Amino acid sequence: MDKTPPSPTVIEARDLKTHFQARSSLIGALAGRQPRAIRALDGVDLAIRRNEIYGLVGESGSGKSTLGMSLVRMYEPTGGEVHYNGENITHVHGKALKDYRRAAQIIFQDPYSSLNPRLTIGQIIEEPLKIHRIGDAAERQRRVEKALELVRIPAEENLHRYPSDLSGGQRQRVAIARALVLEPQFIVADEPVSMLDVSIQASVLEILDDLSRDLGLAVLYISHDIATVGYICSHVAVMYLGQIVEEGTAEDILTAPQHPYTQRLMAAIPSIVPDENRERVELKGDVPSPLDIPPGCRFSSRCPYATELCTTVEPQLVPTAEAHRVRCHLYDAEAVATHPSLEPPTSQAA
Amino acid sequence: MRLVMKDSFVAMGVAILLFFIVIATFATVLAPYGPYEVMMTEAGRLDRLARPSFEHPLGTTAYGNDVLSQFIHGSRVALIVGLVAAVAVGFVSTVFGVVAGYFGGLVDDVLMRITDVALSIPTLPFAIVAVSLLGPSVQNIILVISILFWRNGARIIRSAVLTERERIYVKWARAAGASHFHVILHHILPNIVRVIFLWITMSVAFAILAEASLSFLGLGDPTVISWGQMLNTAFSSGSLRTAWWWVVPPCIALTLLVSSLYLIGRGFEEQTNPRLRRY
Amino acid sequence: MGALAKLNERLRAKPAAHMLVERLSIAYQTPRGPFRAVDDVSFEVAAGATLGLVGESGCGKSTVVKSLMGLLPEGTSVSGRALLNGTDILGLSERALSDVRWTKIALITQSAMNSLDPVYCIGDQITESILAHERVSKAVAWARAEQMFEIVGLPGSRLTEFPHQFSGGMRQRAVIAMALSLNAGLLLADEPTTALDPIMQDQIMSRIRSIHADMRRSMILVTHDIAVVAETCETIAVMYAGEVVEAGPTAQVLQNPRHPYTMGLQNAFPKLPVRGQSRMPLISIPGTVPNLLHPPVGCRFAGRCPFATDLCRSEAPAKLSNSISQSAACHYQDRASEFRAIAQKASTWRHKDG
Ligand SMILES: Nc1ncnc2c1ncn2[C@@H]1O[C@H](COP(=O)(O)OP(=O)(O)OP(=O)(O)O)[C@@H](O)[C@H]1O
Ligand SMILES: Nc1ncnc2c1ncn2[C@@H]1O[C@H](COP(=O)(O)OP(=O)(O)OP(=O)(O)O)[C@@H](O)[C@H]1O
Ligand code: SF4
Ligand code: SF4
Ligand SMILES: [Mg+2]
Ligand SMILES: [Mg+2]
Repeated sequence: MDKTPPSPTVIEARDLKTHFQARSSLIGALAGRQPRAIRALDGVDLAIRRNEIYGLVGESGSGKSTLGMSLVRMYEPTGGEVHYNGENITHVHGKALKDYRRAAQIIFQDPYSSLNPRLTIGQIIEEPLKIHRIGDAAERQRRVEKALELVRIPAEENLHRYPSDLSGGQRQRVAIARALVLEPQFIVADEPVSMLDVSIQASVLEILDDLSRDLGLAVLYISHDIATVGYICSHVAVMYLGQIVEEGTAEDILTAPQHPYTQRLMAAIPSIVPDENRERVELKGDVPSPLDIPPGCRFSSRCPYATELCTTVEPQLVPTAEAHRVRCHLYDAEAVATHPSLEPPTSQAA
Repeated sequence: MRLVMKDSFVAMGVAILLFFIVIATFATVLAPYGPYEVMMTEAGRLDRLARPSFEHPLGTTAYGNDVLSQFIHGSRVALIVGLVAAVAVGFVSTVFGVVAGYFGGLVDDVLMRITDVALSIPTLPFAIVAVSLLGPSVQNIILVISILFWRNGARIIRSAVLTERERIYVKWARAAGASHFHVILHHILPNIVRVIFLWITMSVAFAILAEASLSFLGLGDPTVISWGQMLNTAFSSGSLRTAWWWVVPPCIALTLLVSSLYLIGRGFEEQTNPRLRRY
Repeated sequence: MGALAKLNERLRAKPAAHMLVERLSIAYQTPRGPFRAVDDVSFEVAAGATLGLVGESGCGKSTVVKSLMGLLPEGTSVSGRALLNGTDILGLSERALSDVRWTKIALITQSAMNSLDPVYCIGDQITESILAHERVSKAVAWARAEQMFEIVGLPGSRLTEFPHQFSGGMRQRAVIAMALSLNAGLLLADEPTTALDPIMQDQIMSRIRSIHADMRRSMILVTHDIAVVAETCETIAVMYAGEVVEAGPTAQVLQNPRHPYTMGLQNAFPKLPVRGQSRMPLISIPGTVPNLLHPPVGCRFAGRCPFATDLCRSEAPAKLSNSISQSAACHYQDRASEFRAIAQKASTWRHKDG
């Protein structure tokens, strides 16, 4: 499409890993028992540029929220690095961490419990300014009103209302305003519209879209609803069991998916105009637990194309086209050459 | 306060409490005699077990003391024990509950095991043994009551904090760079005040009853008159059944005071629960 | 084996149900007065047919379903009729209801966790509902439960497990197996897949579809996902603020909506991109749903409708009766095609708040 030079990268994850410990009891800990690791996020590379909304989709429990929380340093990563404007902030603390928290914000799914019911809308949006000791009362008031204006909520009638007086869509917009008031450069939006009614989703998505364009924000948009990803994202990554299995432009991923998991995911989406011959590959079994990751390809236990190679050797994320990477042996020229039994599935829309 | 008054039950509770506070504050002025002042009849004999009369509106005790004066002075102990113990209990259980609930993990494990141990202490036997060992004085009674009641409060407050801690705005505030102190002060405490307040009103009531029970069992401070002690003396003098004027006032007062606290606690709970709040 | 075959035979012989709902109104009692969650709703499900009930959150879809199962809270006022194969099932006594629930109407709920008891294993819960209505031995009931598990794609050996040992998707399938176990003539599915991820949603919906096709049961599917209805149901009823505003054959209603709310819903519904085509913008419907404690006098959609006139604000359009052809509750149905053209423009829906 347009050939403007790419905008600078704002946030970058390099081989990022976040593991949790399955909770151990006090007795277990005293006895020196080693708790098992939940490998929720296991080696993710990703870069988001200015003005870009980057979509993140994938199975429930695949680690999407964990990635979002690790990027804003709500979780301390177990391994790998997070770079913000080229600076490694993976393990910064104290003042440097506080500065980063000013620049990176997060919006959560539930518009009903994301606002403190005892504070007014004005107090809620002002809070981050107070935390960071920005401006005097008048200056803060000005910024609060500006943030409300950005999310199209009339300030004068709403500043003194309580969250319980607002509709779900309005609350979610207040949550966005609270994230914007610090003038961040990077926002994680974790399923921001999935609890809103379809008839009002669009207004929230549109605001995210406008903001990334007008304010130059980098946004990570996490969602189960792949159709909404198509509306606002330029790039999309698909996660499965803690890893990215496919990544590319939104158009490529949504219309010509290559990884068997992504193909299945896209085929699962019902459409208003029913497509009689929509073919589905039935997946066997359930998602393996992140406590017990299968050897080889993580998808091999459910993949209809799995071969012996898949159950022993882990595939790498390899480029298949410009800006399109896939983690599957079928698309790895080297693997296909040495294992002639591999035969790429035809991607559905291509 | 204006808000609180709307509810007639709360208003009643507050009125009763205020009534007792006034009595206790002005006890020396209001009481016609000293609590242990001995009454004599005109014949120069000890005025024992006199029925209510003009000079002695609530009659006299078996030892010739004026019941009304004892009753008025007795309110002081009830209120002092109640308030001091409640503040101590409220403070300790809030600190324990908030720290354990908010930080979780090992801190929680350790604090909760301490609480479990404390909870396994049997209430009345411990109180009796402790007061007899430490010596019967108002300070010691308050100490023992505080030791006994913080533990339940810590559990209740901890579970309230556990729910509050998981609120999304709490996570969000952390992500925005707020310190633990800021989060506790702005998001946790305001949302659990009603639990804390309810617990404090309950512990005032518990403390008053505990003091009365200990005194009734003869473990009260012998230098200060209290309602429990009045009952104890009535019982030990064998006039519990006959001298109703001696027994009924402290009983009614205890019941009224304790119920007023429950009424206030309940009303406060309703007022501050945002789901029940009226506009 | 013989006993199981006989049981299966008996259950298979049950006819698909015919459901006729006429002028159903439901008002919850609240401290602030009656809340008219459902107002004069009529629809019909022919034997073996599937009806999709869609609409905004809070418009009364679950309330309709609960009334058919006799699950409304006590004191709720209900009027109208719901004829199941000709007999009215509204206001039946608890005893009479037990002959209807599960045997004639089965329910798959929004939250699977709530319909399973955490302290019993799943097999016991399914066999218990079979034993309550069929005089067979426990072994036969268990064998039937195993068959149901296989239909929903779960291994029969996992019947001995407890709800918490299942993932969300597996629990939902277990609830479907339970609902199928007595082969009721009418299946009510209230958002059977809402909390699940797309692949799981799709697997469960295709299970439900194939069961419907194989056994020819009648079904009411409640959802807010119009794409699911488009793929599953022959007829559709669109609800708004307690009323059915448009109904008819699914394809017709979705291709040529006649009610402005349906038009708005369609615009707001995100669609997958088609390669090489520029996409239509997503358009939200401005404003909020009216408060049903004090429903507005005129058309309930007037506050959000871009075509509303003074007539709309003062006089309510006629309610829909249960006709088979497409119909809408709007004063200006005859101008529907004109409205559709205007409704496609984003600017049409922008005039109120954003
Ligand atoms: N704080 C935690 N402690 C232990 N395990 C966790 C924690 N947070 C997440 N997990 C586990 O990590 C895995 C990834 O979880 P995550 O919430 O990132 O998934 P997700 O992709 O966001 O899923 P969903 O789409 O359902 O929100 C899951 O198996 C989850 O159970
Ligand atoms: N027990 C009740 N008492 C009072 N009001 C109720 C009760 N149950 C539901 N309501 C109200 O009735 C209306 C309809 O509720 P219902 O659950 O039928 O909506 P729905 O269409 O199923 O919505 P959703 O898509 O969110 O499930 C809502 O506004 C709800 O608040
Ligand atoms: S590597 Fe093998 S198992 Fe994994 S997705 Fe590709 S074909 Fe399937
Ligand atoms: S009746 Fe009027 S307000 Fe109602 S939908 Fe039709 S045009 Fe809109
Ligand atoms: Mg998540
Ligand atoms: Mg519902």
